[in-house]
Amino acid sequence: MTILACSHRRHEWRPIIVLLLLAATTLWPTNVTAADEPLIMGVFPRRSIAETSKLFTPMSDYLGEKLGRTVKLVPSKNFQTFWKDVTEQRYDIVHYNQYQYIRSATHYKVIAHTQEFGRDSVAGILFVRKDSGITEISQLRGRTIIFGGGKDAMLSYIAPRYLLMKAGLKENDFKTVFAVNPQNALVALHYRKADAAGGGEVVLNQPVVKDAIATQDIRVLASTEPLLFLPWAVKRSMPAALTQSIQSLLLDMKNSDAGKQVLKSAIMTGLGSAEDKDYDPHRQMTIAVLGPDGIAK
Amino acid sequence: MRLSLGAKFTITVTIILVATIAANTFYFLGTSARFHEQQLLERGRALGRLISLVSPDAILGFDFLLLNRYTREVSAVPDVVYGVIVDAKGEPISTYIDDKDPLIKKQIDAAGSKDLSPLLQKLDGQSGLVRLQFPITSNNVVLGRFLVGISRQSLENEFRRQLIVQSMVLAAIVLFLSVAIHVVFRANVLKPINKLIAASEDVSRGQFTLVETKARDELGVLARAFNVMTEAVKREQAKLHRQANFDGLTGLPNRMMAFDRIKQEISRAKRSAQRFAVFFIDLDNFKNVNDSMGHAVGDELLIAIGARVQACIRDSDIVARLGGDEFVVLAPDIASDAKAEELAERLIKAVSEPQLLAGRKVVAHCSIGIAIYPDNGESMEELMANADNAMYQAKSTRDGSAIFFTAEMNIRLRERMQMEQDLNLAVELGQLSLNFQPLFETDGQRHCGAEVLLRWHHPERGAISPASFIPLAEATGQIVSIGDWVLEQACRNWAKWHNAGIDPGFLAINVSRVQFRRRLSVRLTELMANFRIPSHALELEITESVLLDDHSQVAEELRNLRAAGLTLSLDDFGTGYSSLSYLKRFHFDVLKIDRSFVSGLPDDLDDVLLVKAILAMAKGFDLKVVAEGVENHDQLRFLASQGCDVVQGFLLAKPMNEAAYSNFLRSRKVEVNASQTGAAQHGYATGRST
Repeated sequence: MTILACSHRRHEWRPIIVLLLLAATTLWPTNVTAADEPLIMGVFPRRSIAETSKLFTPMSDYLGEKLGRTVKLVPSKNFQTFWKDVTEQRYDIVHYNQYQYIRSATHYKVIAHTQEFGRDSVAGILFVRKDSGITEISQLRGRTIIFGGGKDAMLSYIAPRYLLMKAGLKENDFKTVFAVNPQNALVALHYRKADAAGGGEVVLNQPVVKDAIATQDIRVLASTEPLLFLPWAVKRSMPAALTQSIQSLLLDMKNSDAGKQVLKSAIMTGLGSAEDKDYDPHRQMTIAVLGPDGIAK
Repeated sequence: MRLSLGAKFTITVTIILVATIAANTFYFLGTSARFHEQQLLERGRALGRLISLVSPDAILGFDFLLLNRYTREVSAVPDVVYGVIVDAKGEPISTYIDDKDPLIKKQIDAAGSKDLSPLLQKLDGQSGLVRLQFPITSNNVVLGRFLVGISRQSLENEFRRQLIVQSMVLAAIVLFLSVAIHVVFRANVLKPINKLIAASEDVSRGQFTLVETKARDELGVLARAFNVMTEAVKREQAKLHRQANFDGLTGLPNRMMAFDRIKQEISRAKRSAQRFAVFFIDLDNFKNVNDSMGHAVGDELLIAIGARVQACIRDSDIVARLGGDEFVVLAPDIASDAKAEELAERLIKAVSEPQLLAGRKVVAHCSIGIAIYPDNGESMEELMANADNAMYQAKSTRDGSAIFFTAEMNIRLRERMQMEQDLNLAVELGQLSLNFQPLFETDGQRHCGAEVLLRWHHPERGAISPASFIPLAEATGQIVSIGDWVLEQACRNWAKWHNAGIDPGFLAINVSRVQFRRRLSVRLTELMANFRIPSHALELEITESVLLDDHSQVAEELRNLRAAGLTLSLDDFGTGYSSLSYLKRFHFDVLKIDRSFVSGLPDDLDDVLLVKAILAMAKGFDLKVVAEGVENHDQLRFLASQGCDVVQGFLLAKPMNEAAYSNFLRSRKVEVNASQTGAAQHGYATGRST
């Protein structure tokens, strides 16, 4: 008798266990799927893939850790590939230059800008050698001017061109040559490969430039108004909460040791808040230099 | 500086090792340096080609930072002290210069600036730098050049380091090998050689040490040879010692050892205040034994006498042979002269014991001189001289006697020595002169010649008898010059008389056995030729003692004299050995009977018989006989009656000097002329007169 009674009580728990197992199997896959979907982070390829990965992997890891989901850095081998991925909105988070942002602003929303040397903005500059005798932009007529990167370089091309334009020098009034980047443009100027060079004002202070040339031989011929540094943007389709989380993480990075380490790795002093209207000056300069088509997608 | 054999060998080996290893090391280092320099160049070329290959894109793209990275990469390459990329115009567009490099720093410091172009120009001539350049081209367009400078400094440092290391290794190897070789050399070569040297020094000290001969190498052979040599030297040393200290004939100690023992005995006796005696023994007439029986028999006699003397002395006494027939006996601890006399008697008795030699019984006698230490001398030389002097005195007394040395003997000896010195000057000072004693034919007493007699008139001592100085002159050898003077004076006189028309007859000249040994015939032939004297004008009187000398030489000289036509007379016949064999062997013309046989005539029966026998024998040998010492008419009559040919003596004429003899001859010439007829009737012609 006693045995029968015990056996009966044990059978009473079976429906409960079955229900718990069913609930677990139903809910578990749903949560896991949401957490595993990575956020894709893109960085414009002004450096090599390896260098880009080295600089920004800590950033993606940091964000992934903080967000509780994977943030995958996908570096591009060149600008064409990068721009293609931008236009196809493959990136959830993207870091690029000001010109690229204003061209992709319909799909991406800027949430932060980089701070370099503790500054939020930087001017576009026309550099000349001190011993060149050039004191006016107009003296550059017929001369060779070297720009860093290409025509989509905001500070190295568009901004200096804007200064030239304002001084009355059209594109055909000088000979345009491009260095692979702004730093090289400045080095080339030092080596007298050009009479002037265009670039951001921070370039002159960059160690790589200081190590390469005697920067005291270079002087600023003209500069634009300060322009906000490089933008960080997210897809406009990103949920607002996630956008907010990412923005908060980015802006708050400089307040923690781990965040500072990440910023140092990415050669930044911090990240500041930004919104689309902060890049209107860039838009105006671009339209002035490249025309309305210049900012077309 | 004197180096030992080991030091020389080690230094030589060390020099060879150093030279060999150093040459090898320098060859290795040289090869290594060339290899490393080649590597350096290859590295530079590889680097340059690589930079040239990758740089065009960077130049075309104004990627100076990339170029800088290239040059920076270049800087990472060891030994690259600069890497410069210049454009087509030669303007530097990327530069790396290691201004910490000593060479670069030196040039920068010298120039006072880092301006690249002058710096590169100055570096161009630096031997410590390898400078390479490579063109950078694109589509056959020269875009620039890559200049790279590679320092040889590390290469040189490495070379120096290797040199130091190799030198240290070399030094260690050389040190180790030198020490090892030295140790091995010392153990295997020097040690045996040092043993040989030590053994050689032992041999030089008279210690005949043998060395080990276990080794089978050359040193072992040398050691064995050394041992053989040592044994031989030992034997020779013993032999020499024996030869130097012992008489080879008798086995007795010799003169040297005798003198040495006497010296030792003097020292010992001086310390203990003892006396000892030296006996100088000389055999009497030993020469006669040698001459008559041969030297072998004489030697046998000496051996026998030595043994007998040895047997009769005490154990503490020493007998030695001084040489010839002289012995000396050293008798230590002689308490009295009587003891010495006893020993002398034993010695005389021992010597005079008959000895059977060559089948004949020979009796030898000896004369002994005895000198006592310290009475007769305190040095060896003094003792020996005095013993010798005493022996000489003993010999002059009678055979078989022993005499102690006395001070008077020395006086006599000094006199003898003085006489010897005076005799040296006698000829020069004209103290010698000739006397002539006429000779007469017995039957008619006709003068036929004269015997030449030597006289010495000493300015202090007056006339000195020939019997005193002739033996001395013979003993000292002065007789040669004196005899030669006599011959020359005799010849001179004969020639003078002859040239004066006087017939001197013949001159009988005594010659000594000493002269006889000195080629007398040659000298006489020379004199006869010089003075134009016929050979029959001279007669040589020779004593029997001459014939005792070497028979062959005597016979030859006699033959020479006879061949020269000279008349030979055997003087003093009968006093000596008077062997009839002499008469048979040597062809004499005349026999001269000694005066001792004539003096007893005609009463002494013995003399009568002897003279008769001599005359009969002379007739038998067809010899003329001269009798000397005729002093009375009885002697003359007897000799005449017995057929003696010639007589000489005071009865007929005494010896006279040259002047007297000249007068004698002149008077005889008158006499001859007056009685020429009578003489012819008496038949006195000698056939000698010319």
